[in-house]
Amino acid sequence: MKKRLVLFFALLLALVTGFTTLTTTANAATDNSLTKIEKKGTLVMGTSPDYPPYEFQATVHGKTKIVGMDVAVGQKIAKDMGVKLVVKSMSFDSLLVALQTGKVDMVISGMNPTPARRKNVAFTHTYYQGGYSIVINKSDKGIYKNKDSFVGKTIGAQTGSTMYNESKKQTSGTTVKGMTSVSDLILALQSHKIQGVAMEKPSAQAYVANNKELAAIPSDFNLSASDTSASVAFAKGSTALVNKANKSVDQIKKQNLVNKTYLPAAGKYLKTNTVNTSMFHYWKAFLTGIEYTLIITVCSVFFGFILGVLLSLARMARGGVLKTALRWLATAYVEFIRGTPMMVQVMFVYFGLGLIVNLPALTSGIIAISLNSGAYVAEYIRGGINSVDNGQTEAARSLGMSSGATLRYVVLPQALKNIWPSLGNEFITLIKDSSIVSIIGVSELIFQSNIVRSDTYRGVAPIAVIMVLYFILTFTASRILNYFERRMQHD
Amino acid sequence: MTKPIIEVKDLAKNFGKNQVLKDITEQVTPGQVIVVIGPSGSGKSTFLRCLNLLETPTSGEVDFAGENLTTLDTKRVNELREQMGMVFQSFNLFPNMTVLENIKLAPMKVKHMDDATATKRAHELLKQVNLDDHADAFPASLSGGQAQRVAIARSLAMDPKVMLFDEPTSALDPEMVGEVLSVMQQLAEQGMTMVVVTHEMGFAKSVADRVWFMADGFIQENSTPDDFFSNPQTERAQDFLSKILM
Repeated sequence: MKKRLVLFFALLLALVTGFTTLTTTANAATDNSLTKIEKKGTLVMGTSPDYPPYEFQATVHGKTKIVGMDVAVGQKIAKDMGVKLVVKSMSFDSLLVALQTGKVDMVISGMNPTPARRKNVAFTHTYYQGGYSIVINKSDKGIYKNKDSFVGKTIGAQTGSTMYNESKKQTSGTTVKGMTSVSDLILALQSHKIQGVAMEKPSAQAYVANNKELAAIPSDFNLSASDTSASVAFAKGSTALVNKANKSVDQIKKQNLVNKTYLPAAGKYLKTNTVNTSMFHYWKAFLTGIEYTLIITVCSVFFGFILGVLLSLARMARGGVLKTALRWLATAYVEFIRGTPMMVQVMFVYFGLGLIVNLPALTSGIIAISLNSGAYVAEYIRGGINSVDNGQTEAARSLGMSSGATLRYVVLPQALKNIWPSLGNEFITLIKDSSIVSIIGVSELIFQSNIVRSDTYRGVAPIAVIMVLYFILTFTASRILNYFERRMQHD
Repeated sequence: MTKPIIEVKDLAKNFGKNQVLKDITEQVTPGQVIVVIGPSGSGKSTFLRCLNLLETPTSGEVDFAGENLTTLDTKRVNELREQMGMVFQSFNLFPNMTVLENIKLAPMKVKHMDDATATKRAHELLKQVNLDDHADAFPASLSGGQAQRVAIARSLAMDPKVMLFDEPTSALDPEMVGEVLSVMQQLAEQGMTMVVVTHEMGFAKSVADRVWFMADGFIQENSTPDDFFSNPQTERAQDFLSKILM
């Protein structure tokens, strides 16, 4: 048993080392970066669109798209390179990883070129010099003046952002609470869970302009230029690309394009966006969410089931060395998948596997969830097959049926009937668990609701809406499953 | 003398350290009805299951129509199994299929018979076992006797050369034993080669060509029913017969 364990960890180590080496080589071997983009004809920009006016989603002519001053900057850079801009949205935390693994070509997301980040990616010159504000409830306006007024209180900031780190460093006696999305922070502020939210000045102004109950105060953080400025990030080593983008950035600064053109344009979108914050107005966003949630669930159930059947058969293989090896492998797989969080698996498939083949987020999500579901389904099926009386197999074999035909026509249909309730449970669990892929930017229900929340500055309503939507989905699914369960009853 | 269809040579079977079959050498010729009787635990069922390789013999050989099953690959064994129907004590009908589907499954999936032909043949067989009115019933709604007759029809659908019966009436209520035995008797009269493991001494007496008495992993006696029941040779057989009510 010990030997097996040692072997297992050796394999795991080999796998991890393999991936690490791969990462380094991928980073080292790129200075045809500019020609590559020009050849491809597209420049993929990664951004986290919940940070108005930098970037956010707006409904334009009935279609949701990502807009904001950062998108305008991206468009300018792409145009100057003579290529098309493609905007990809994901959570702020994932942006730099996506850049390092080649999921996106550049990141523009109000990102400050801090020394720590410079170690991993290459930045252009800054295209915007901002500052920080703290957003508070208007009713508290007299109480808080700047960062130092929050002793014994809590302020919030976006996890992974410069504001978060600086708030921690530059306050004493203040608790700093991190959340992934700014709209969650605003909601926390309004429900008095926190007393202030640190964010970039333009964002703070946008929130205050759109919500009468909020006010902004200066932060008075002691900041270096690199902490308050925004830059475009490229993969490390892509000097040619950075140099080219710098030309565009320099132009933007020289002509003051951000303040003169980009910010006013973004402001207009913000206004059209918040005119109608009723949830019905966003039915299209929710519909897209349902669509993707269903696509992910149905595909994952389908592939997960096939994988589950194969795994369960492999786990029951008895005989020669090959079959024993197969059984071991399948067992190890099932144990490993069941012993690691699904969220980590999703990230590993998207970012880790992405080093070898560049998979879109949706495909990665489906693959990860199928791989995960397969491990669970395998155990159900194994139990189901074991529950079928051995006499059934003997009867089929005595009629001259091969072991394969016996399994397919006699054992599996009965096993399936026995495990139908468990499989149904798995399906319903998947409808809910598919929400995990929101972290890699797939537009399923959770992701869409976050977008609606940051668009409308309404925190609770979208959550209530998707709660009801999820329930409708799962309830309908369980009714359908029950119908088939009844149809399979013959005894 | 006609060539034997089943030939068993020095057959032995162990389950772990437990020697169930010790050394069996016997033959079955076409058209013969063999009834295997003996005390419980003497290895009768194991012996029968070795004939179509549901159990793999530990040593020795089982020849079917001149081919040694123990040396053949799985594919050929499957082909030969088609020719050896088997009826089980617990029927083993497929509960998720109707009676008709139970009978049609193997002809369609193994012999690739088309649906119409298979359906027609299934109805013929159901008539033969007097159950054609139950064609669309599910096994759960059948009585034990009916279920066993369907199982017999299911085996016959593959047109076997030999039928193996593993205590076909042991799980039945007494009033249903007759209907199953009469179907078996009919089969015997049609010239089917049969190996029957049973405790029905009446059936052995009236239908069997040979009675094989099995005890302690050996076939102790191989004689005609008349000889066996009126004049058993071994002490083991005399002991056995004295204990059963006739």
